[in-house]
Formats: sequence, structure tokens, C-alpha cells
Amino acid sequence: MFPVQFTNEIAALLGILIILSALYMQGQSFVDPTIRAILVQSFLLSTLFAILGIQSGDVELFYLAILTAIMRGVIVPRIMLYQVRKFKHSLRETGTGQRVPALIILAVIVIIVAYALFRVILEPYIPNSQVSVPFSLMLLGFLLIISRRNALVQMTGYVEAENAILYAGALITPSIPLLIEFAVVLDIFGVVIIGVILSAQRDVFHTLEPADIDQLSG
Amino acid sequence: MKSLDSTSLFVILLAAPAAAAGISLLPREGMEILSSLIGGAVAVVSSILILGTRVEGSFGYFYSDGLTQVMAVTISSIYFTSLAYSIFYIKHIKEPLFKFRWYYSLVDLFAFTMLLAVVVNDIGFIWIAVEATTVTSALLVALEREGTSIEAAWRYTLLVSAGLATSLLSVVLVYYSQGTLAISSLIGKHVADVPILALAVAFALIGYGTKAGIAPMHAWLPDAHSEAPSPVSAMFSGILLPTSLYAFARTFALLQGSPAFESMRNLAIGFGIFTALVAAVILGFQRNYKRMLAYSSMENMGIILVGLALGGVGAIGAVMQIVAHAFAKSSAFYESGNILAAYNSKNMSDVQGVVNRLRSTGYLFSLSALSVTGAPPFGVFIGEFLILAQAVNSGNLLLAALLGISYAYAFIALNRQSIRMIFGSGEDNNSNSTGLDNETNQPIKSSKEDRLSLAVPFINLLISLVIGIYMIPTLLQAAISFGL
Repeated sequence: MFPVQFTNEIAALLGILIILSALYMQGQSFVDPTIRAILVQSFLLSTLFAILGIQSGDVELFYLAILTAIMRGVIVPRIMLYQVRKFKHSLRETGTGQRVPALIILAVIVIIVAYALFRVILEPYIPNSQVSVPFSLMLLGFLLIISRRNALVQMTGYVEAENAILYAGALITPSIPLLIEFAVVLDIFGVVIIGVILSAQRDVFHTLEPADIDQLSG
Repeated sequence: MKSLDSTSLFVILLAAPAAAAGISLLPREGMEILSSLIGGAVAVVSSILILGTRVEGSFGYFYSDGLTQVMAVTISSIYFTSLAYSIFYIKHIKEPLFKFRWYYSLVDLFAFTMLLAVVVNDIGFIWIAVEATTVTSALLVALEREGTSIEAAWRYTLLVSAGLATSLLSVVLVYYSQGTLAISSLIGKHVADVPILALAVAFALIGYGTKAGIAPMHAWLPDAHSEAPSPVSAMFSGILLPTSLYAFARTFALLQGSPAFESMRNLAIGFGIFTALVAAVILGFQRNYKRMLAYSSMENMGIILVGLALGGVGAIGAVMQIVAHAFAKSSAFYESGNILAAYNSKNMSDVQGVVNRLRSTGYLFSLSALSVTGAPPFGVFIGEFLILAQAVNSGNLLLAALLGISYAYAFIALNRQSIRMIFGSGEDNNSNSTGLDNETNQPIKSSKEDRLSLAVPFINLLISLVIGIYMIPTLLQAAISFGL
């Protein structure tokens, strides 16, 4: 339908936009925009799946595109924003504001290291240089989890890491039977469970950034 | 005909807990306990029947071999005993996060997902099932609705899910390199594309290792084990961690016979022995007795991983240890539940001289502590011995020495703490250890203990002993054939 050259360029462009959305999340100290960024990222990913589907003619990828848009683009962010609204004000993570420059620099370093690792370890076996993008995205997701204290931000980090795996899966082996779709659907249960835990956290601690608990160390 | 029978047994094995989970939610007094117990009993019986048939190979969606069968029996037994113990334990939870009906339903679903993980004939479905165990068990950790338990549930969900994302990548790579995910068509096949498969095994080690508590990805484990209600801690420690190791072992086995096998084996052994040593050392410094038991589980998982990676007699030892440890450790966690219910503290300094107050629980706990640290003739000892023998026999003396150190250190550290807690007397001027009650200043009377709360841990401890005695001939055979 489309010339291969064209779809390839679109896919590469979407990859860059996804990485930019991840960088934006790293430098956000408010919780709201972080969640909206993961929403945008999921829609970008869904579009990418559709483009890859057009390119390969693989129907599985269209299902995956629709599922990703509905689950990760609409339902998951909606549940998270609902949690934010329960606090009745725009949440800002304490202390992250001052750390933004450091976090951005760290994120850029992670991207460079991820690319280098990809070139050395993976590229000899997986001859598709675009896989370096999800590889960086996965590490950025993990960075978000370990560099923040707010439970909702940590969760966007997890959603991002999983976006990365879906992305890699679609690039490496698009016809993988049902598995990735299952992974997407399973998330919905996970998010509901996490919602219950977050509500309990709010009731008991009155914050989503609990300080270190002595009984849980060592 | 034969294969049809086995298939229906597998269906019953999975359907029983799933149905119990549904029926538990019916709004009828006592229904949840009854349906869950029946579901658990049916699962135990059908798993034993499957073990009895000793069928190997694939049946439609299921794959069965010795490992599958032993895992299925272990999972359903611990599931059943945890249900029985729950009847006693949850009476002591004052302010649960959700209704007990939901508690039983989630325990049933938790068991269902673990059973599914060990019987499916598809590496992808194993991943889905292991991922689903997180979903079904996360809320169970938070049941007691304290700040610590909620935080522990959060850490557990987040860390384990992030870890398991890595094993999804491993599944993708297996499919990419082999073109199929069915275990029956992967096993014994000449593997194609070895480097990618080796990469898949490394990702599986990180991913499933996170869930099995392999260091340094174990940060969630002591929190979740110490904060979950005791019957759930028993399920985590006894069957959830081994289920995750099972998932790794299935991916790892694909490499067998290929040039990359040796290096991946060494990687797994390295992670395993590191875990065992780290856990053994940290164990000695614990002040919370449930955390101490959690680190002991971690130590056992490290040793089991070494055994699985070594193969041969070591793998037999690892399977032995999985079963024996599941029964012994669940017993220890049930007894810790009795202690917690009576003392209302997880701190060892508050709990001194348990035998004065909970006589039978005290003795059972100290025996369980001996059992999980590999005192002969309990089953864990046999497993540890076989793994050590395999290490010596394969000429890996450094590994054997490190294994020996971790066995000895964990044995001394855990039993020293357990003896101090159970039989301790007034050294640290604690009211309970002087033999006087701190409020009334009367001598402490040994309180009457609930029969159920003693019967369940006693039976599990006994099974771990019987396994040990039953396996002595195997042990001697191995010792003779290795010329030890």
C-alpha cells in the first residue's frame, strides 16, 4: 500500500517521539503531566503497531494496536488520574523539582549507554537497528522507578518499561501467538489491584510518598 | 485412552481451585471456607493421581514430566494446608483490608495460577501464569491493613512486575530463535540460533530470578514475607518461589547440549551461590522472626538454583529440596502465625521463652527451624547433601566449599536465634522471659492452644521428615556411586 521507505521513516519518527515522551516524563515533578505523557506514549506506540501492521500485512499487529490504545492509552491512565483527583490537588513530588537537571542528564546517559550496549550485545544477533529504541525505553522506565518516591510516578515507570517490551516484541517477532495481547489484557487486572493498594496507602499514610519504614529495612 | 484420562485429571486439577474461587464469593456464611477446602482437597487428590500415573509428554495444552508432577503435588498440598490454617489465623486479623470471602477467593486463584504455571505446555503461558500470580497475590500481602503491609504489597507488585517484564523479553527471544513456544516440541530438539537462546536464558534468569528472590533482585522478598498473613507467607515461601524457579528451569533446559550451555550454567550457579551466601549472612542479623524465615527461604532458593543448574544428582537434590522445604517452611510460618497471634509482635525481643506460654508451638517451631536449615534426617538435608555431592563430583571444589559455608552459617544463625526465642530466659530483662506476666506480675501460665493451629504445622513437619527418611536409599546410592 505504502512504499516501504515511507513506512520505515514513519516508524523511526514515532520511535524518536516515544523516546522524547520518556525524557519529558523524567523531567516532570508534577504527577498529572507524567500520567498524560504515558497516555501520549501509549497512543504513539499504538500508531507504530498499526504502521508495522500495514508494512507486514500482519493482522495480529492491528489487534495489538487497538488493544494498546484502549488499555494503555485510555483505561490505565484514567484509573491513575482518578487516583490523583482523589487528592483534590495537582500532586507535586517533593524534592524532584531541584533534581530535574540531574535527572535529565542521567536519562540522556542511560540512552547513550543503552544504545552502546545494544550495539555490542544485541545487534550481532538481532539485525534490526530500531530495536535499540525499545531497549533504551526499558532502561528509562526502570530509571523512573528507582529515581522517584511517588507511587503513581513509579507506576508510570512500570507502564513505560512494559511499553518497551511490547515495542521490542512487535519489532523482533510480530507473529508471536497471542502472548503479547495477553500481556496487555493482564495489565488491566494489575492496575485495578494497584488502585486498591494505592487507596489503602492514601487512607493509612495520607500520602503516596511514604517515608522509609524502619521495620522494612535490613 | 490413557492420554484422555491424564488430560481430564489436569483439567480437574485446574478447575477445582478456579471453581472454589468463584463459589467463595457467594454471599453465604461459611461458604468460602467450605468451597475452598473442597477445591483444595480435589486439587491434592488429582495431583497425586497424576503423580501416580507417571505419564510423560504432552496432552493438548498440558505438558507433564516428573518435575511437573512433583511441583503440582507440592503446590496443591501447601495450598490445602494454608487454607486449613487460615481458618484459625484470620480470626486474629482485626481490621482486614477486604472481606474474608475475598481472601479465600484470592487464595484459590493464587493457587490456580501457580498450578497453571507448572502444567502448561507453552513457555509463553508459563510467563502469563507467573505474571498472574503477582496479580492474585498482591492484595493478600496487604490484608492486615497496616502501613507496613501496604508498603510491602506495593514494593512486591512493582519490583516483581518490572522484573517479569524482562522475562517477557526472554519469551519473545525464544520464539524468535526457535519459532515455537511449545515445550514438547522444544525439548530434546537440536536448538537453532544458540546465541539468541543464551540471551533469552540470561533474561529469564533476571526476570524469574526477581520473583524467586535471587540476589540482588530480592529487595521485595523479606518485606512481603514478613507482612503477609502467615498462611500466605507459607504459600509465598513454600510454593511461589519454586514456581518461579520452575519457569526459569524450563527455559534453561532448552539450551542443553548446545555450546552456550556451560557459560549459562555458570551464570546461574554464580547467582545461586551468591544468593545463598548473602541470605545466610543477613539472616543472622534479623530481629523480626518472620523476616528471618524469609531470608532462610532465600538461602534455600539460592541452593536450589545451584542444584538445578548443576544437573544430574544435583537436580534430583534440588527437586527434593523444593518439596521438603515447602512442607518444612510452611510449618515454620504457621507456627510463627501462632506466636504472632499470641504475642502480637513480630519482634524477637518481645517474644522470649515461647515454650512457657505456647508449649507445643514452641517445640514445633524449633523443630521446623532445624528442618529448614537442613538438619538430618529431614528432607532438606537430603536435598542439600545431593547438591553438595554433585558439586564435589563435578570437580567444582570452590563451589562445594561455598555451599558448605552457607549451609553451616545458615544452620547456626537460624537455630541460635530460634533457640533463644523459644527457650530464652531473662537475659535481656524482658518481662515475658522472667516467667512473670508484665501486667499482672503473675507467673505466666501456658495458655491452651488451638488444636487446628497445631495439627496443620505438625502434619507438614512430619511430611518433611518422612520425605527425608524415604530418600535415604537414594542418598546412599549417590554417595556410593560417587565414592564418598
